[in-house]
Amino acid sequence: MSDHPTRRDALSRVARGTVLLGFGGTSVFLIDKADGQVVWQVDASRCVNSRLGDVGAPVCALCTTECVVQQSAVRAVNNFRECGRCYICPAYYNIKSAVDENGLPSEKLCPRDAIERKPIGLVDPEDPANNFYEYIIDEVKCDGCGICVKGCKEPLGLGSIILKVRHDLCVDCNHCAISKACPKEALARQPVETALEPTLAAPATR
Amino acid sequence: MTAFAGPRRLLVVLAPFVLLAWLAPARASAQAVPYDRPVEVAPQQETIGGGYLTPDVQKPRPREYWLEVLDVVLLGFAMGVAVWLVVTRRSRRSALALTVVCLAYFGFYREGCICPIGSIQNVALSLADPTYKIPIVVTAVFFMPLVVALFFGRAFCGGVCPLGAIQELVVLKPVQVPRKLDDALGLLKYGYLGLAILLAVQPMIARDFVICRFDPFVGFFRREGFAHMMFIGAGFLALGTVVGRPYCRYLCPYGVLLSWCSRLAPRGVTITPNKELDCGLCAAACPYGAINENRAIRKECLYCARCYASCPCETRPGPAL
Amino acid sequence: MYKQTQVIGGKGEGAPRFSQTLRSITVDGSERLYAVGDSELKVFEADGTLRRRWPTSMPGHAVAVAEDGSVYVGESGQVEIFDRDGKLVSTWRDPERLGRITAIGFASGCVLVGDAADRAIRRYDLNGTFLNDIGRNNRMQGFRIPNGVIDFGVDADGIVHATNPGKHRIEHYTPDDQLLGHFGRFDGIDPAGFPGCCNPTNVAVAGRERIYVTEKAEPRAKVYDFQGNLIAVIATDVFDPNCKNMAIAVDRRGRVYVADTVRLEIIVFEGDAES
Repeated sequence: MSDHPTRRDALSRVARGTVLLGFGGTSVFLIDKADGQVVWQVDASRCVNSRLGDVGAPVCALCTTECVVQQSAVRAVNNFRECGRCYICPAYYNIKSAVDENGLPSEKLCPRDAIERKPIGLVDPEDPANNFYEYIIDEVKCDGCGICVKGCKEPLGLGSIILKVRHDLCVDCNHCAISKACPKEALARQPVETALEPTLAAPATR
Repeated sequence: MTAFAGPRRLLVVLAPFVLLAWLAPARASAQAVPYDRPVEVAPQQETIGGGYLTPDVQKPRPREYWLEVLDVVLLGFAMGVAVWLVVTRRSRRSALALTVVCLAYFGFYREGCICPIGSIQNVALSLADPTYKIPIVVTAVFFMPLVVALFFGRAFCGGVCPLGAIQELVVLKPVQVPRKLDDALGLLKYGYLGLAILLAVQPMIARDFVICRFDPFVGFFRREGFAHMMFIGAGFLALGTVVGRPYCRYLCPYGVLLSWCSRLAPRGVTITPNKELDCGLCAAACPYGAINENRAIRKECLYCARCYASCPCETRPGPAL
Repeated sequence: MYKQTQVIGGKGEGAPRFSQTLRSITVDGSERLYAVGDSELKVFEADGTLRRRWPTSMPGHAVAVAEDGSVYVGESGQVEIFDRDGKLVSTWRDPERLGRITAIGFASGCVLVGDAADRAIRRYDLNGTFLNDIGRNNRMQGFRIPNGVIDFGVDADGIVHATNPGKHRIEHYTPDDQLLGHFGRFDGIDPAGFPGCCNPTNVAVAGRERIYVTEKAEPRAKVYDFQGNLIAVIATDVFDPNCKNMAIAVDRRGRVYVADTVRLEIIVFEGDAES
């Protein structure tokens, strides 16, 4: 190869410059509309298990079955600020089951027994309904099957339990496998701060 | 290079871009019924009293953003090191060391994500769909190896890409694939690229990132995955012991873009004519069929530096034999 | 036993319809139906035609008609009192005691107001002077109302029958806060019990004999006697399944009015001669 710049070299240089210009222009276009850090998250106002006004739908367990991680990165989360702390929680108990001698339903809903029911303060011995009860979901046991979420859904419950992607477990796939399967397109990328808020996106009443 | 390949390849890749115009994603509707939801009536800690404090909901944070930026910086740095080790130092051993380090970091630690190969889908979708935005790191990860390829050839393939690195480490007794077969198989890359773009730009339900879904090695990187994908990955590695880097040469869609850019590179792996002895040892040593008539084919060269390691002039400094 | 005879109102624009909410209903002595929702009060004749309507300054949560015909509307933070022609006579405001008024009733010369924000019933005299609370004197410091609505009815003897949905029962109080008793229990299967987490949501009282309740989550309306025996299930399937806090009212002839809060209509039921 000679040391003089040949025509081929010149053409190469022009082509390189053009390609670089193309890259630059495309980059600017993409960066111009870029957003910050976005992560996969369940939009509870679309999710079949928690969306308001959709009473008859059966429980959807796609978050459990579709996630590529062994035990799904989606878990049920109870927002304590919105929980009614009811004596008989429709997400904890199967309210259609027979009533036992204590006046409580005999069956619990969670197949993995992940919800713990704790009375707040000392239980009134004469009337256990005279207490608030805290319902705590053990996220290690939970696999996001959505049964309790549907139990808490309005109007049956107050809608304080929703499914959420937990970002210490999520591997942040390029295209979430659950989002591909979700019939309501409830899985979408959201900015980090929005994605961390554990609440339905519904306005409070006046 | 066969005559028919050029225009047909172009068509296969351009076809999806033609379809971009009328692809408009539409999202399903949100809540079915406008609803009154009195969240403020839930008992707060004042109502419950007795020193009760409302527990906070755990909010596990994702990986910090500056770490993503760091990964981009490290990617650039690794490519720079690859260029220096292979083009300047011409050291096979150092290139191999870089391969191992990059496989450990980008492959097993970062589990192969985010990678430039998959970013093709994100960039294509972002160009097609005005509402789809990608973070700056994804744009950077897409363009950086291409820019490096534009000047120095496929440095990214040279041990930085974790998919390439894992295949690089299993090359044991590579056969030289006959040129015609190699060219024919190479067409699969173009088909895969076209298919990947076509499926990536679909509206939401039909959208499929096939590059990520059928990544044969992500199961190893994550140490878990679907059984059939682990099988396919093991198959690729098994094949890779006798056929050098089959995914890179015949399937990798990003390799198409890299090969186009590296054609224009002024520098890169070269086998210079006025130094070579016509011994052909380099051609025999190259497992990727990137040396033709004792010249490096830049768009095929995967930056492994085996040619330098096998060259008697390189390994024995001093007057030529 | 009970048959649906009429549907009044409905969702939409236009005078007899409701556009966003339908929160409370009541019936006066002349069998006119008063309904409050949006920021308006509507008065319907017995045959369902709209008689008059006037705006309220805030969306109304409760409505009641006194013996002299004046109309009390409970809102968030205030009670507005209108005369029978719709002119505002006075407004009661009490930042501590009038939070969100979801029920209003009258008993022996005083006005009873249910404050859902503080989960208690307040008793005022006719001039707006506060007399006492009802229902706060217990371990929960109030009623358990996770649904955010407190509802009660007053019988002919002046006894207040209030729902305590978190405890699945109806409690009977005197106006000076003496708990006389309660009835009701949780049961998801037996129709005589109250299912779900918090039922019954709303209550209406007729004379000395009947207590009418509505429930949510499988919305239905039922009627009990004062001892707590279920007399009849008035309706189960006719309401929108998303209904919650359906207001209920009864007139002197025993016709039952239930407000469907999703379809924004009032459904009228009549029973056969069993009262």
